[in-house]
Amino acid sequence: MSLMEKDTLPAAAGSPAGPGAAAGRPALPKVDGAWLRQARKAPHRRRAWITGGMSVLVFGLLAVNVLLGSFTVTIPDFLAMLGGENIPGASFIVMENKLPQALLGLLAGASFGMAGTVFQTMLRNPLASPDIIGISYGASAAAVTAVVLFGIRGAGVSVAAIVGALLVALLISLLARGRGGTGLILVGIGAAAFMQAVVTFLMSRADISNAQELMVWLTGSLNSANWERVAVLAVALLVLVPLVAVGGRELRGLSLGDDTAAGLGFNVPRARLLLIVLGVLLAAFPTAAAGPIAFVAFLSGPIAKRLNGGAASLPLSGLVGAAIVLAAHFVAVNAVPGTSLPVGVVTGALGAPFLLWLLISSNRANQGG
Amino acid sequence: MAFAASTRPAAGPVQQDRSGQNPAATLSASGLSLGYGDRAIVEGLDVELPAGKVTIIVGANACGKSTLLRGLARLLKPGSGVVHLKGEDIHKVPTRTLARQLGILPQTPTAPDGISVADLVGRGRSPHQGWFRQWTPADDDAVAAALNVTGTAELAGRSIDELSGGQRQRVWIAMALAQETDVLLLDEPTTYLDLAHQVEVLDVVSELNARRGITVAIVLHDLNLAARYADHLIAMKAGSIVAQGVPSEVLTAGLVQEVFGLESVVVADPVVGTPLVVPIGRRAALLADAAAQRLSEVEVVGAVEGVRE
Repeated sequence: MSLMEKDTLPAAAGSPAGPGAAAGRPALPKVDGAWLRQARKAPHRRRAWITGGMSVLVFGLLAVNVLLGSFTVTIPDFLAMLGGENIPGASFIVMENKLPQALLGLLAGASFGMAGTVFQTMLRNPLASPDIIGISYGASAAAVTAVVLFGIRGAGVSVAAIVGALLVALLISLLARGRGGTGLILVGIGAAAFMQAVVTFLMSRADISNAQELMVWLTGSLNSANWERVAVLAVALLVLVPLVAVGGRELRGLSLGDDTAAGLGFNVPRARLLLIVLGVLLAAFPTAAAGPIAFVAFLSGPIAKRLNGGAASLPLSGLVGAAIVLAAHFVAVNAVPGTSLPVGVVTGALGAPFLLWLLISSNRANQGG
Repeated sequence: MAFAASTRPAAGPVQQDRSGQNPAATLSASGLSLGYGDRAIVEGLDVELPAGKVTIIVGANACGKSTLLRGLARLLKPGSGVVHLKGEDIHKVPTRTLARQLGILPQTPTAPDGISVADLVGRGRSPHQGWFRQWTPADDDAVAAALNVTGTAELAGRSIDELSGGQRQRVWIAMALAQETDVLLLDEPTTYLDLAHQVEVLDVVSELNARRGITVAIVLHDLNLAARYADHLIAMKAGSIVAQGVPSEVLTAGLVQEVFGLESVVVADPVVGTPLVVPIGRRAALLADAAAQRLSEVEVVGAVEGVRE
């Protein structure tokens, strides 16, 4: 049954109108379904353009990372190497270093970006990103514990990181039970500080040979990227991204608040559980592969929001995250001649002032943080 | 649907077929106890919303009226008792199925950042969509109708962040209307609105009730507006129903005293004749004293004395 059957308002007839009650009411503009269909196209087109533009930017940054820098390769040479040709001196650097690093950066950035947006949108708070509420640090602490205390190496460290992130998420959820989104963030910040202390303590106990490997868990780095890590993260994202597309619907519901979402027929507890698990995994897998690259999960969502005219967008957040990591990696590798800084140093250093700018400029526009 | 065949409990809703339009859309509760944690707010309450009518729930702050509305809308799981919609326990119906029949606009809802009016109203269509049934022209029509009836059509393309409180509230109501439910529950829909907007919001709701015969329940603070717009008035105090019925029969000075602890006179609303509550307050006595001292404004004293009787 549609409301449209009758558009004349019967109300005025019934009331013994006070002065001008009915007569003075101006005719309000009306819309119909066809007009709405048309109106919906403009923002969609805008989003498509921005997403396309960001994809080009990310691809460009990927190319810059692989082809340029302290060791430059020509495009024909690169294509030849991709085709399997061995160019002495170049092949190893490009195929075993630059390309896996850039690809890992792209995947990790995209994953962090989406993880941040899942949490920020669900808890309706920009502070609620996994690197602030301790989930990334949970992964770090578990990985460092595995290396220092149990002597685990290789893939086992990644497994430990993922288990650690899930455990911390579980712990935070239990401790913050019934305290709402802000309570969860505060508990998470406490957990993050504790995990950082654990990492620092264990680092001081680690021997030199481990310290090199553990560096990655302090700031996040792509320098130890290899094809195995790229493959694991790629497979994880291949599974997680379709789930995120499914979860996006639930996320749009939860972003209206629990009561409104429940009133609209969303199963709030189930949706929340699904999104938490997805968000944790999206943060844990890249942390296992590249460490907690500072600020990426935190920044991607708000930047994507601005690009998207104020509304949260998971695909755009992923692209922004990838762009941030790739740009930061290029700076990290080439800023100081002769040394490769961890990428997290750059995202951390650039992230803080950028966040301030974001807050100040968005307050000026009267949109709030 | 499998649950449709389930046995109707004997204590099911009593059909009040007075509207003749939508007799089945009855929402009722029996033995309902609600609370938060260990704190019980409502205990053993029986209530029924007359089908096709506007029911307005009034009561002092913290009397449990919003809690009752949340309980009726399955936002709060009852400690004991059941809520029936058309004879079925609402906690046994899948939440999305229920959302096609029962809409709730919570108190002071919050919109996601940067969402447009048309987009937000479109969220009201969520229960009509599923994995396989995506957005259809019928959804567009429902959204357009909801925008038109709430007078928010000209705002359709604007971002919700740019709107005034009154506009925003009308947009939220449009979202609830786009849900196209037979029963609509509104928790203080006029909060933060000026008087003109309060009247406007209630007009929209009562027009909709008149046009489509939907069952409406509203939690409201303003007694006079409640008396004006309610077919059925429910007065609550400390988690129980003190009085209910047609406003002209229920709303008396005695009730206002009992529910709000406020001394008042109830006169006939000069516009439509529904009860109009005029609080007395202490200032009336102060003015009377001052007047008596000056021995000049005899009428004021007389008026107040008359009122006291």
